[in-house]
Amino acid sequence: MIPALALVVGVVLGLVLEPTVPAALQPYLPIAVVAALDAVFGAVRAQLEGIFDDKVFVVSFVSNVLVAGLVVFLGDQLGVGGQLSTGVVVVLGIRIFSNAAAIRRRVFSA
Amino acid sequence: MRTAAAQTAQAGSEASSGRRVDASMSLLVDVMTDTLDRSYAERAARAGRGRPAGPARGPRRRQRAAPLLGILAVGVLTGTAVAQVRDRSSADQGLRGELATEVAQRTRDSDALARRAAELRDDVAAVRERALGADAAGRAASERLAALAAAAATTAVRGPGVVVTLDDAPGDDPVGAQPLSGGTVPEGRVRDADVQDVVNGLWAAGAEAVAVDGQRLTALSAIRSAGEAVLVDLRPVSPPYVVEAVGDASRLEVRFVDGPSGRRLTTLTSLYGIGFDVARAEQLDLPAGGTPDLRAASPAPGGSS
Repeated sequence: MIPALALVVGVVLGLVLEPTVPAALQPYLPIAVVAALDAVFGAVRAQLEGIFDDKVFVVSFVSNVLVAGLVVFLGDQLGVGGQLSTGVVVVLGIRIFSNAAAIRRRVFSA
Repeated sequence: MRTAAAQTAQAGSEASSGRRVDASMSLLVDVMTDTLDRSYAERAARAGRGRPAGPARGPRRRQRAAPLLGILAVGVLTGTAVAQVRDRSSADQGLRGELATEVAQRTRDSDALARRAAELRDDVAAVRERALGADAAGRAASERLAALAAAAATTAVRGPGVVVTLDDAPGDDPVGAQPLSGGTVPEGRVRDADVQDVVNGLWAAGAEAVAVDGQRLTALSAIRSAGEAVLVDLRPVSPPYVVEAVGDASRLEVRFVDGPSGRRLTTLTSLYGIGFDVARAEQLDLPAGGTPDLRAASPAPGGSS
């Protein structure tokens, strides 16, 4: 409940404050969001399976965002940034979907 | 321990014992099945072995705060990304609106200046008329001047003639939608070359004065295109293109329609459905064209003929 609230507060903060993102980092923002969402879904699933660990969550969140950004940055330098972004989104999307499915199985046992 | 953890993580999916049949596809399979971070299972296993259940007071507090901060960070990230995208699209929209307003404003300004120039020209003509009307030589010069001005398109003229109307084939989007975007040009669209063709055909058929969409053509007028918009003397005109020509109406009509450009346009009409219509008019009023800017030439000294 409280984490959901924190998420909503965060979204509102981001929308209202509109922090200035350096122009160089702007292309990586959507990728960072997808990577962060993957970490969140992983955390929720771990929580439901009773193996949640705060350190793992924070570390996986930060490293997910950094690695995803790094991969896309590398892609940009090599001229395949668009394709690599697609790749990152596909892989993380698959993970998000299967984690969501696992969560659904736990919650609704269906 | 790593394999044990992996097996825990894969609980529910098939148990991996020995070499898998699809070992060469392990990357794809991992992506599909191994979706939970392994470190969760590893930490859980270590914690389960290391210390008894029920963690101490200190870590408990930290345990609640850190994930909340993480979740908050995710939210801020998402919100910022959404705000960024919205910002960008609204900025685009605003810029386009600004440019459109500016174009409209400049067009109004330019129209007003053109009207003012016409008024001033009329004033000059009236003053000249008065000055030259004093004696016979002056009156003769004045008549000669009027004839030359009409031929040079610096005064408005009136007379019988024909009106040629060109229009895009029905079904294409109006040019007003995106005339400068450049995309693919539909076949049934009137091009600048078609308008040029009509104008040249009318001159060849004996027209004495020609105007396109109310813009008088002078000896220095150009009909060109920018993107898909047709420009007459660098001012955009839009379909239907109305070409008015003053001259002997019946002769003009016959010679134009039977001439090469009339025949070509009839072909275009039957091939692409371009709207093409020639009508006689009892009386046409053509405005004065712009006074040509003489940059290098100046009147020869003492030469009146």
